[in-house]
Amino acid sequence: MTHVRIGLVVPSSNVTVETEMPAILGRHPGADFSFHASRMRMAKVSPEQLAAMNAQRERCILELGDASPDVILYACLVALMAVGPGEHQRVEGLVAEQLATGGAEARVRSSAGALVEGLQALSARRIALVTPYMRPLAEKVVAYLEAEGFEVTDWRALEVEDNREVGCIPGDRVMDAARSLDLTGVDALVISACVQMPSLPLVELAEQELGVPVLSAATAGAYSILRAAGLPVDIPGAGSLLRADSLQPTA
Amino acid sequence: MSSLSDQHLVRGVDHAAFPTFDPVGTVRFYRDTLGFPVVHSICAAGWGPEDHPDFIHFFFDIGNDDRIAFFYYFGLPKPEVGKGDVYAQFGDDTPDWFVRSRHLAIHVDSEDHLLEYRRRLDASQWPVEMQIQHETIESIYTHDPNGYMVEITRALRPVTPQEDLDANLTIDALVDIAQRPGHGMDDLLVRKAELIVERAEAWQAEQEVSS
Amino acid sequence: MTHRLFMLDVPENTSIAAVASEAPDVTVDRLGPYFVIASEKPVVIDRRASGARHAVWYSCVGGLEGCRIVQWDKDALRLEQR
Repeated sequence: MTHVRIGLVVPSSNVTVETEMPAILGRHPGADFSFHASRMRMAKVSPEQLAAMNAQRERCILELGDASPDVILYACLVALMAVGPGEHQRVEGLVAEQLATGGAEARVRSSAGALVEGLQALSARRIALVTPYMRPLAEKVVAYLEAEGFEVTDWRALEVEDNREVGCIPGDRVMDAARSLDLTGVDALVISACVQMPSLPLVELAEQELGVPVLSAATAGAYSILRAAGLPVDIPGAGSLLRADSLQPTA
Repeated sequence: MSSLSDQHLVRGVDHAAFPTFDPVGTVRFYRDTLGFPVVHSICAAGWGPEDHPDFIHFFFDIGNDDRIAFFYYFGLPKPEVGKGDVYAQFGDDTPDWFVRSRHLAIHVDSEDHLLEYRRRLDASQWPVEMQIQHETIESIYTHDPNGYMVEITRALRPVTPQEDLDANLTIDALVDIAQRPGHGMDDLLVRKAELIVERAEAWQAEQEVSS
Repeated sequence: MTHRLFMLDVPENTSIAAVASEAPDVTVDRLGPYFVIASEKPVVIDRRASGARHAVWYSCVGGLEGCRIVQWDKDALRLEQR
């Protein structure tokens, strides 16, 4: 059984990444994973706090580098997307440079980049989103994805500003928001464009009910990690993106 | 066969890197005295097979997007420097001309600009130590806080095409004679005369055709 | 045997070639971009007469044929039979 060490850079109030990523990757048939997180202090998802959080990136990477992870996931999507188009490539480049300068071999990914990668893997062009953010931030997420070449046909902002509360949004509320979207002609639904809003149990459910491929920032992050680690993408019960290499026919 | 195969594709100095044990002095010298902006920094640790301390790698712009960079390793003890600099120390009997043979020379476009950098250095803790006119260039010299020799230089006139030819003949002659035991300048000048006789007229004819 | 000294034709060297040519047995020709200072007899060039400063003086010799340098200092450059 291959062992893979995953470094996670998470906002300090985030509890969902460290819940959902092990839950997803724990289902992998051929590898086992350990998770090692470093935290950037952030409680309120506001532009000021997001900027202050990004300034802690260097310290977090220094800490994680000491654990020799195989892959590092920079797991705060809105922190990058709120800065503007191209930010995930820029930050991934800086983290990669920081690691390479010190001779570390860890691969670098981000939740923002992973969402783009996952949507591209699904050959999606027209997409719909559910986000927990206040409207202005949600609009930045939409603009970011449009700059990456996607057409966001419909989206929801649940307007929960406190990041601790985002971690407690009930699944029903997320599902209702997803059901309320106009999914005509949509190639994929991002049921949670946020790594703090819990959504893992909803992904497969929504895919069955709504009849379109469904992913979340978390499932996309897992996809990106598996590709970075060179492992087959074959995880049951978490949406068709994570069955990309499965020999079973998709339901 | 690649279409890139005979093109000169490089774009100068991404960075020339040196260790420092005095990051404050280094910043005072390059950023504050010479006015070279800090353009990049990386905070890293020694994660590779060789264990080494946490460090900062930082870069100053030296013009044309070229950069000089330093490594500052936390907790690394500074060596004793007699002759030389913090990177390379030499015994007292090493000739000064040899110690000076490795240095960075930075270009400026005019006498006014050269004198402006002279003024900045003379107003600092690191005044100009020498100002010299060489064959076709004029330079000022000082040493930075790490002991690295820094030259700032201007051309007294533009380089001529015949100097490019002459340089290539010198190198071809040098390569030819350098394997002989005991070779010296005389061997080089004799070989170079042979190459001049072989090639100078043809070169001149080519120049006239293309002008 | 003709002594031949090759000297690149660049502005700093022209005065040196000019001083060399003043000696009665010395001819100065061209080969490509080089002055060819030639003589059957030893060649002597006076540095002060040329006005060349040190850096220029000590880098003015481009090539030697049939002769060798026996003196090259702040006073003169002297070539004799090899």
